[in-house]
Amino acid sequence: MTLAFLNLSWPVFANGLEFGGIYALMAVGIGLVFGVLRLVNFAYGQLIMAGGFALAYGSQWNFPNWASILFCFGVVLGLSLVMDRLVFRPLRTHSPAVMLVATFAVAFVLQNIAQLSFGTFGKSAGALAFLNSPWDLGGVEVKKIAVIAVVTAAVCLVALQLLLTRTSLGLHMRAASMDFRTAQLLGVRANRVIAGAVIISAVFAAIAAVMLSVEQLQVTSTFGLSDTIFVLAGVVLGGLNRPIPATLGGFSIGFATGILGGALPSSQSQYLPSILFAAVIVVLLVRPNGLFTRGGGAVQRV
Amino acid sequence: MSAAPPALVLEELSVRYGAVDAVRGLSLEVDRGEIVGLIGPNGAGKSSTLHAIMGAAPVVGGDVRQDGRSLVGVRSEQVARNGIALVPEGRRIFGELTVEENLRLGLAARRTRVSGVAFDHAYELFPILHEFRRRQAGALSGGQQQQLAIARALAAEPDVLLLDEPSLGLAPKIVDVVFEALGRIRESGLAVLLVEQRAQRTVAFADRSYVLANGELRLTLAPQDAGDTDRLVAAYLS
Amino acid sequence: MSALRRAPELLVPALLVLGTALFALQVSSYLQAYFLDTLVKVAIVVALYVFIGNSGVLSFGHVSFVALGAWTAGVLTVPADQKSAIMPGLAHFLLHTNVGNLASLALAAAVGAVAAFVVGLPLMRLSGLAAGIATFAVLEITNNVLTYDQSIGPGENAFSSVPQTTGIWQAAVGALICIAVAFLYRTSRYGRMLRATREDPAAAAAVGISIYRQRLLAFAISGGLAGLAGGIYVHLLPLTAAGLHLDLTFITLAMLVVGGSGSLLGAVVGALALNGLYSFFSAATNGVDLLGWNLTVPQGTAELVLGTLMALVLIARPGGLSGGRELSLPRRRVRLEA
Repeated sequence: MTLAFLNLSWPVFANGLEFGGIYALMAVGIGLVFGVLRLVNFAYGQLIMAGGFALAYGSQWNFPNWASILFCFGVVLGLSLVMDRLVFRPLRTHSPAVMLVATFAVAFVLQNIAQLSFGTFGKSAGALAFLNSPWDLGGVEVKKIAVIAVVTAAVCLVALQLLLTRTSLGLHMRAASMDFRTAQLLGVRANRVIAGAVIISAVFAAIAAVMLSVEQLQVTSTFGLSDTIFVLAGVVLGGLNRPIPATLGGFSIGFATGILGGALPSSQSQYLPSILFAAVIVVLLVRPNGLFTRGGGAVQRV
Repeated sequence: MSAAPPALVLEELSVRYGAVDAVRGLSLEVDRGEIVGLIGPNGAGKSSTLHAIMGAAPVVGGDVRQDGRSLVGVRSEQVARNGIALVPEGRRIFGELTVEENLRLGLAARRTRVSGVAFDHAYELFPILHEFRRRQAGALSGGQQQQLAIARALAAEPDVLLLDEPSLGLAPKIVDVVFEALGRIRESGLAVLLVEQRAQRTVAFADRSYVLANGELRLTLAPQDAGDTDRLVAAYLS
Repeated sequence: MSALRRAPELLVPALLVLGTALFALQVSSYLQAYFLDTLVKVAIVVALYVFIGNSGVLSFGHVSFVALGAWTAGVLTVPADQKSAIMPGLAHFLLHTNVGNLASLALAAAVGAVAAFVVGLPLMRLSGLAAGIATFAVLEITNNVLTYDQSIGPGENAFSSVPQTTGIWQAAVGALICIAVAFLYRTSRYGRMLRATREDPAAAAAVGISIYRQRLLAFAISGGLAGLAGGIYVHLLPLTAAGLHLDLTFITLAMLVVGGSGSLLGAVVGALALNGLYSFFSAATNGVDLLGWNLTVPQGTAELVLGTLMALVLIARPGGLSGGRELSLPRRRVRLEA
């Protein structure tokens, strides 16, 4: 059975959904932190890499899978908080361009620490490889990880949406990403809002690490790097400071990557990054806030 | 035992941005249940004074005290949580949030845990907000947004209310609504510091008004001085 | 008078480069390779400085122009009889066009300048974060195209068989040309106008300076210098597209940030000092003799040291990226002449 109109087979379509889901989570993780800090975190990929290495160690030490995953969450969360405390907080009041360069530096430091510690070939994280085997869904065979990725992403994004709209922390985070100064004047606590964004962003990075490690069993110092660069492009395309557009941007990129990676010969998909980044430039020139964003309300962010 | 200190006291307050002196040696008091006006020409230092109270402008000298405790060096968010609410210039409502969400933001500074959120008081003061509570705040008119900004500040149940030019850009009828609401706020026992451009109306309305020019206090006026245009003009131009 | 007073701005960096070159002549050929590499880095960092230092706008894209310069000089100088073997997909006219060393360098600079101008036409309207991301996108596009398009170069493979004409003097002269151009631009009225837009965009616009045009000019000049540096680089060692991507971008930005992006001297000192450090730790992966004590470090140490330094400098002196003082003799404080 095929999706004839798209000229796609089910496995390819599922692959698109899988990467769409993973990239959507990463996009939201990057977008949330950008919202409150105006910080584009180049080092997000290295958080995912750290999670990957945590999983690899979990495998090596024969942890049960739940413990490996928990360990991965702990490592990513801890590293995120350290990064926020040591780098982002001192630079919080500086221009987004300075912070961008700083995260660029942090990314390199972390990547080279990994290179130093684990060598060029990295470590193997094979514990979750069994998720590559298919499930039979009504006559269609779909990789387990594809189903898990889509479901997990959907659950996480719905939970995030509820948090943002139904809780006071969520309301404060939304307000802070629109107008941080006014939010503070109203008594919104800056550190709490930023910690909220950093923690959620880290949780999504950890989830992405777990799911990416299923596809990419060998964890090296560049684990998650190219994914993050693609997602960064997707987030800019979607709109940096709004969760839903960022999700759409991330999902689209992931879906396109997943489909093109499987459906077309490589001679046709090799220029995908060029097309993607050309689109990024066009979007930046035409609509600095991103493609999927509605027009601003009566009160503009300053 | 002496009486409790006034709700808000500025003592020889000086504010400086870089090389620019915005406020020089300003002293004033606001007590519970009174409205104090702060008027003066553009650039006189009125907004800087409010920002200094909120911990959002660099204080280089003097003191700001709430109930006798100094606020100098306290962060904005903590000043707000101490019970001082600002209605900022230009209203600064969150246009993409609903009216009710804007009011919920006002709760951020409440000191007591809020159970079963109710904005009855705000809705009673400004019925239009109740009608539009599910709308995006950006879709409201300027006057409605101003009412929302005041209601949002009151949602924090503050002891001191600071208003930065609440009548700016509003139609006369709406200005009446705003001033009428301020009168009722005074009756509820809040200390109100009102920065305004509408000098005569403010002097007539407030319990006491200070005229600020070039960052310095020039004149203190009582309501009965409202008709005395000459003194006002002299103070503005001095 | 003014030129005399400003002479140290030019002379000190130039003497540093000359000193490095002269010193390099005294050492073994093994060590000389590191000095050559350092001189090329000086050229690249000075090119970066011309744009970032004067405009205060971030660019992650300059290594694109280095790469284009390298591709230009490389493809035009690989001996004709080896071209089809090394670059089987090469376009017909490139297969049959060959030029000498100097012409290839001049063309590399020209291609860099033209590419930067064309890219700058739309991009120079952006600043701040948007400029950072857009120039990063340029880097990604250039790298992607150079990696896969075999009609213009070796694709993923190394640029081998390019005549290795870059010795100490070619590298030093290249760096000196970059320094001289940077100095002339900085002291020209265009350079002053661009710096005025950095200090106070509103005031600069109010006196009639077109921020867009001044940025575009600086971008094209720095693109030309980057192209020249790329040409010199490809004549030094067989480059790959992968080697002209994120790592080089990061390393050169780190040198500029640590040295202080606001001054030519800072850019040169940053490049010399950090590349010295970088070379040392790179060499130490194979073991170096340090005062009789053998030091061996794992691969990645050099990048780690640079990254940490850069992060520390950014945290301690965040203004270093956009502000800076030029070295000059004491003088009265003068108004911006713009």
